[in-house]
Amino acid sequence: MAKKAALWILCVSGTLIATAFVAIWMVVGGDRRMLLIGKTTDAHHQIETACETCHAAPPFAFAAAAAKALNKTCRNCHEDALQAAEDSHARKRFRSPRMAVYWQKLDVRLCTACHVEHRPEITRPGAVTVAADFCVACHSEGDQDVRKARPSHAGLPFDTCASAGCHNYHDNRAIYEDFLVRHADRPWVAAVPVHGLAMRSRNQKVPAEAAKRGAALAPAVALAAPTALHDWAGSGHAAAGVNCAACHAPTAAQDASRAAVEAQWIAAPDTAICWDCHKAQVKTFAEGRHGMRRHPSLAPPRDPSRRLEAIGLGGLLPKAAAAWLADPPRPVRMTVAEARLPMRPEAAAKALHCGTCHQPHAVDTERAAVEACASCHDDTHSRAYFGSAHHELWRAELAGKAPLGAGVSCATCHMAKVERGGKVVTSHNQNATLWPNEKMIRPVCLDCHGLGFAIDALADADLVARNFQGRPATIHVKSVEWALRRTQGGVHDHFQATR
Amino acid sequence: MLTFAEELVLLLNDEDGVPVPVQEDAFACALAGAVLMDLAFAYRIDTDLQTLVVTGRTPIGNPTLDRILRKIATRPEAADTRTWIRELSVDEAAAIHEEVLSSLVERGVLARQAEKFPWILRTPRHPIIEGEAAHGVSRRIREALHSDDIPDPRDITLIALLDACDLLADIFPAAEIEQCRARIEQLRLMDLIGRELAGAIADIERTIIAALRARSARFRKLLLHLSVFGGLAATVALLAPRIPAPDRFGPSLLQSLWFDGLWQQWSGYLLLGFSGAGLLAVLLLKVRPVARLGGGHWWRLAHVGFGLCCALLLFAHTGFRLGANLNAALMVSYLAALAFGALAGISTNGAPQLRRMGITPKLRSILMRLHRVALYPLPALVAIHILIVYLY
Repeated sequence: MAKKAALWILCVSGTLIATAFVAIWMVVGGDRRMLLIGKTTDAHHQIETACETCHAAPPFAFAAAAAKALNKTCRNCHEDALQAAEDSHARKRFRSPRMAVYWQKLDVRLCTACHVEHRPEITRPGAVTVAADFCVACHSEGDQDVRKARPSHAGLPFDTCASAGCHNYHDNRAIYEDFLVRHADRPWVAAVPVHGLAMRSRNQKVPAEAAKRGAALAPAVALAAPTALHDWAGSGHAAAGVNCAACHAPTAAQDASRAAVEAQWIAAPDTAICWDCHKAQVKTFAEGRHGMRRHPSLAPPRDPSRRLEAIGLGGLLPKAAAAWLADPPRPVRMTVAEARLPMRPEAAAKALHCGTCHQPHAVDTERAAVEACASCHDDTHSRAYFGSAHHELWRAELAGKAPLGAGVSCATCHMAKVERGGKVVTSHNQNATLWPNEKMIRPVCLDCHGLGFAIDALADADLVARNFQGRPATIHVKSVEWALRRTQGGVHDHFQATR
Repeated sequence: MLTFAEELVLLLNDEDGVPVPVQEDAFACALAGAVLMDLAFAYRIDTDLQTLVVTGRTPIGNPTLDRILRKIATRPEAADTRTWIRELSVDEAAAIHEEVLSSLVERGVLARQAEKFPWILRTPRHPIIEGEAAHGVSRRIREALHSDDIPDPRDITLIALLDACDLLADIFPAAEIEQCRARIEQLRLMDLIGRELAGAIADIERTIIAALRARSARFRKLLLHLSVFGGLAATVALLAPRIPAPDRFGPSLLQSLWFDGLWQQWSGYLLLGFSGAGLLAVLLLKVRPVARLGGGHWWRLAHVGFGLCCALLLFAHTGFRLGANLNAALMVSYLAALAFGALAGISTNGAPQLRRMGITPKLRSILMRLHRVALYPLPALVAIHILIVYLY
C-alpha cells in the first residue's frame, strides 16, 4: 500500500511541480530553449530565445490578437528591406475590402500566411511554409489569371513561378518589364567592367580629421604592444587622427591626462564604440546574419520582478529567487560554431563583431573583403572563389594591374556598396543582396554584366556553387525575350496597368 | 478441512494478501468448478450426459456450499453442468469469492486490510496470518507434482481443476509446470475415487475447459489481434519514414490536420479525451462493482480500443512527427506507452502461445511496468504542451 501511495503521490506531485516550473519559465523567466517546438529557421535561429521579439502578445491573448501582434513584429525588422525591394505584394495593397476574395485563398495581409516559424517539415528556401505553387491561389482565375494575361506563360506550371529564377513574391525588381527591355541589348560582360560605387569608394579620401579623435595619450602597457601600434600607424584611423583613446577610452576628454586615460581604459572595446563614427555600417551589420543579435528590435531578456508585477504577484518573490529565474544571459555576438553554413572548424570559437573581420588596429578593408570571409566560410561557393575569374580580377586590382573597382571580392557581391547622402558606404548586411539572389542584379551584377546573363547565372545553382567559373549552361530564363516580344508586339501589359 | 474454493483462493493470494493477477474468466470458472466439485465430493450432486442432479439435500455445514446446493435443488427445470458452470461463474463468482475470503478471515487464516489509498480504488488485501494452512496447500500441490507418491484424491482433483483453468502457470513458475506436464497427465488418469464421483469430476472439468475456451477464446483472440495491430502501428510510427507534407497549394486534409490551428485543437483535445477514457477504463477494472458490469473483458477491450483510437488520433495530430525538445519527449513518451501497451496486450492475450515458445509470464509484468512507466511523465508533458500552444 505504502509503495502504491508513494507512487501516486510522486506521479501527481511530479506532474504539478513540472508543469508549474515550466509555466514559470514561460511567464516569468528562465531558460526556454527546451520549449521550442521545432527547429527555428536559419533566419531566426540566432535569436530564438528572444521569444518576445516575435511573440509580443500578452500571455493567453486571443488567437486573433496574438496573430496580429506576431505579424506586427515581422515589420519591425523587415519593413525597410521590403520597402527597398518595392514589395510587389505589399500588405497595404491587400487591406482593401476589394481584395477580400483573396483573403479566403491566402490571407497575405499576414506574414504568417506564408512564413510560419518552427515548422522545419514544411519550411522551404526563404523560410516559406506554403506549397511551392502558392501563386495559383490568386493568379489562376479571373482578372489575375496569368495564363490568359500573358500568353507566354500559358502551360507553365505554378510551382516554377518562384523557382525558375523569374519571380519573387516580394522583390521583382529584376524582371520589371521596362527594366528588362532597357537592358536587353547589353553584352554578357562590359568592355570595361568596373564597379562604379566600389571605384568611388576606393577613391574616397580619408577625412583629414575624424569626428572623434580621442585623447592623444595611451597607457604605457598598451603602447608597448608592438603590432597594435604598428597596425594602427598604417590604418585609416591613424590617417584621420583617431587616437587610441578614441576607442579604448571613449569617455576621456581629448586633453585628458595619461592617468585619466588609464583610469577609463577599455582593453577590448565593443562594436558600440564603432557606432560613434560608423553608424551606417554598424546599423546594417545588425540587419544581417553576422550581427543580428544587436538588432534594436530584439526583445531584451525578461525581468522576473516586472513580469510578476504584470500578473499581480509583484513583491511576492524573494530577490534571490528572482535572480535565479532571470533569463539566461543572451550573447550579443554570434559565434562561428552557431552558423548553419559549412565553416572552418578552427574558426568555431570566433565571435562576430567589427574587429573579427577588420582587425581592430589595422582596420584593413582589403583583408575584410576576402581573407576574413574565407577564414570562416568553408562551403563550396566560398572555396570555389579562389582561382575564379572574379578572384583574379580582385588580385589584379590589388596589384595595380586593373583599374580601381574592377576586382570582385566576397564583399563586392555580399556587402554591396550603397550611396547615402552623396557618400559611398558599405552595407554590412550580407543578406541585403541575397534571398532571393536576384536582389544582387541591380546593385552588383549589372555594373559589369548584361541583364540576361546575370539572370541566367544567378538561376543556375551549379554555376553559383562553382562561384561563376564558366557560363550558365543549363538554365536560360526567357524573361528578356518575352518582355521584348510583348513590348515590341504591342501586347497590353495587364499587370502594369493595374499597378 | 478447507474446501476446494478456499484452497484455490489461498493459492491465488500472495504473501502480502494481494491476489495473483489471473484471467478473470478462468478464476470465475475455477471458483464455480471448485464449488461443484466440493458438492460432488460431499455426494450432494451427480452428473450425467444431460443434467446435473441433486443426490442429497442435507446441508453440508459450509454456508457457501449450502447456498449453492439450495440454488441447484430449487431450480424447477433440470440443467446440465455447462449451464451451472456458466451461471455460477457469471452470477455467483464474485459472491463466492467474497464468502470464501470472509470464511478464511473468520477462521484466522487471512486478515482483512482495507487499502486507504487511493481512495477511489479502495480494495481490501488479505495478508496471511496462519501460514501453515495457507502455505500447506501450495506445498501439498508441489509435492504431488514432484514426487512419485500417490497423492490425496482431493489434491489430484485440485490440480486437475487448476490445469483445466490454465492457472497452474500463474501460481507456480511456468517452466516448473512444463517439466511436470507428464506427471500432471499421470495424476489425471489415477483412479483413486469411485467411478460415479470420478465421472462427475471429469464432467465438471470438461465443461470448464469447454466453457473457458468458448468464452475467452473470442475475446482473447480479438484482444490479441488488436494488440498486434497496435504494436505494428507503434512500430511503424517509430520507424517508418514520415509522410511528407502536401506539396500542392489548395484544400488538403493532411495539410489541415497537421498544420491548421483549429484542426490541431480538435485532434489534440480528442486525443486527450480518448487517452483519459483509456486510462479510466483500466482504472475502473480495479473497482470491483464496476468491473462486474459486463465482465473484465469488455473493459479490457475498451482499453485496447481507446489505445488504438489514440494511435490514429496521434497520427492525425502529428503525422507521427516527433517535433523537438519537450514536444519530442511527449511524442516519445506517448509512442512508448502505446508500444509497450500493445506488447503487454500481446503477452497477456497470447500467453498460452508464448508459454509454448518458452517465454515466461514474467515478461508480461515487465511490459506492464514499462507501459506504466512510459505513462508517468505524460500528464506533465501534455499540460506543458497545451501551455506552450496557448502562450506562444
